Amino acid sequence: MINEVITILNENGLHALPASRFVKLAEKFDSDVKLVKDGVVVSGKSIMGILTIACEKGSKVTLICDGKDEKDAFKALRKILEGQD
Amino acid sequence: MAKEKILRGIAASKGIAQGKVFIYETKNVQVFQTPILSIYLNDEIERFEKAVTQTKKELIEIRGRINQEIGEDFGQFLDAQIMMLTDKELIETVKKKIVEEKKNAEHIYHQVITDYAQKLSESKNQYFKERVVDIWDVGVRVLRNLLGLVHSSVIDVGPGSIIVAHDIPPSEATLINPRNVLGIATEIGGRTSHTAITARALEIPAVLAIEGLLNKIEHGEEVIIDGDRGILIKHPSPSRTHFYEIAKKKVVELEKALSPYCELPPETRDGRHIDISANIEFFAEASHAKKYGAIGIGLFRTEFLYLTRRGNPTEEEQFRVYNGLAKSMKPHPVIIRTYDLGGDKIFSGYHEPNPFLGWRAIRVCLEEIDFFKVQLRAILRASVHKNVKIMFPMVATYEEIKRINLIFEEVRKELKSKKIEFDDGIQVGIMIETPSAALLSPYLASEVDFFSIGSNDLTQYTLAVDRGNEKVSQLFDHFHPAVIRLIKNIVDAGHNGHIWVGLCGELASDPLAIPLLVGLGIDELSMSPYSIPKAKLVLRSITIPTCEEISKEALGFRTALEVKRFLRRAVHKNFPGIEEVIK
Repeated sequence: MINEVITILNENGLHALPASRFVKLAEKFDSDVKLVKDGVVVSGKSIMGILTIACEKGSKVTLICDGKDEKDAFKALRKILEGQD
Repeated sequence: MAKEKILRGIAASKGIAQGKVFIYETKNVQVFQTPILSIYLNDEIERFEKAVTQTKKELIEIRGRINQEIGEDFGQFLDAQIMMLTDKELIETVKKKIVEEKKNAEHIYHQVITDYAQKLSESKNQYFKERVVDIWDVGVRVLRNLLGLVHSSVIDVGPGSIIVAHDIPPSEATLINPRNVLGIATEIGGRTSHTAITARALEIPAVLAIEGLLNKIEHGEEVIIDGDRGILIKHPSPSRTHFYEIAKKKVVELEKALSPYCELPPETRDGRHIDISANIEFFAEASHAKKYGAIGIGLFRTEFLYLTRRGNPTEEEQFRVYNGLAKSMKPHPVIIRTYDLGGDKIFSGYHEPNPFLGWRAIRVCLEEIDFFKVQLRAILRASVHKNVKIMFPMVATYEEIKRINLIFEEVRKELKSKKIEFDDGIQVGIMIETPSAALLSPYLASEVDFFSIGSNDLTQYTLAVDRGNEKVSQLFDHFHPAVIRLIKNIVDAGHNGHIWVGLCGELASDPLAIPLLVGLGIDELSMSPYSIPKAKLVLRSITIPTCEEISKEALGFRTALEVKRFLRRAVHKNFPGIEEVIK
């Protein structure tokens, strides 16, 4: 399991479009993907979940990837959160 | 056979249409709760899955249509909606709860969606808060499919339809497809409401403000809409149908008779050239403007950019639209009007009791300067084609134009420092649509390159009549002596200040008004593309000295009725050729 706090650097925060990109990408991996913000845990494969934790630019979230492709998943998903995709 | 029935309203967009009623309802769906027997739980889940599949199909179709007709940028919110719809977590939660609670799919789905919406609305961030709109957009669609109800977007309307609604909100009006929608009828609105303007722009017959319309009409029934007389006919008799077939033929004939005027230059019989240009709202209308012989675009409304999408359009999105339009109209001028909506349209959560007198148009822009500058940059960048002019709406004070010019100068400097090309000689104009701007026009003239009189709003503000309120809309008359006197002031002030003066309201295409306006010295008339051939016919039948006499005399009346009576007589006496089109 990889588990690290990441600061959202995406220009408008994780709004609908980057959030859908995040979900689409997360679904490609077998690993379980979770985001944690202010103690609330949501599935990284659910756009509704991600939107409800309202990840604004500058906010801190914990990205958790757990599974056999967790390394690749973490690397790729982190890029979206940091606005480098 | 059922008896024929005539429903009366306001004639808002001319033309005749016969078609099937499509009821557009904005009301919320009613969700009921009912227990489900264990043996039927699988069926219930299947019913839910079907509704999701059906909704997905609809959203993909709408997405496709927006891509084709408005542009890909504007449909992006639908991609997000499709993902919300098919969210695995949400779907699994609903299925699980149906089994656990043994309740119907509508009830459970509504509960789950409400839960998500509740969480989102608690967000402190405005953007995330506003996504509640998307959740409900998707949610209501699914619920309607579960309940087997009629759909509520005008974009779903099939071919041969007449839209019947209480009202059509501006964001929806933008999505009306003129290939499918033959006519429009609503319970509220007036000749100058957004629905009316859109209907005229798309050349769709419309009758508005029909009382109790929704209680009298059923989805799918066949009706006739007469946009000239302002009536809707239920169960039309054979003789009535025949009458309208002949009337339709006549319209086609008149169009044919007017069609040579598309090509002819817009000048009076004695050779004075008056620019006749087009008011348009969508890029696609540029082709109408050319077809009907417009000299250019006298008013490009940019509101649709803000109304057809979630969030505000970026500089790039706006630039693409303005640039495309400028390029396609080259070398003819394109006048782009900046943001002309209320603050509530871009900053949700903002409400005011009296929006017409409130925080709108330039008032929003002068306070939200970063927001304003995005549009200014996009317009300036499109000006490289050397045919773009910029126009600011709703100016009421001298300080406002001073501040606008200052901000505009800042943006120019910024672009120059970044070595971004634009037309440094771009003409800057203002709409004159408040009585205060009309009275101060001698001072305003020294600060700008042109005036464009917005006769609709000028009439509304001068007569203190809300044009959308059917109780008082009959008081709205742009031939009112007070309005005509203000127009004279504006034209004189413009000419004394050596700038040109146009008019871009309904008045510009009124055959009765053209001799009056030309007599007052107007330099440009901008109107819906469809009205142009008729306006050219009128213009080419009149002479300057006679128009000047007419306008002088027209200023000496006390009521709108007297003015109109006089104009009719004067036209009859001096220019008998145009009486046919005045009828």
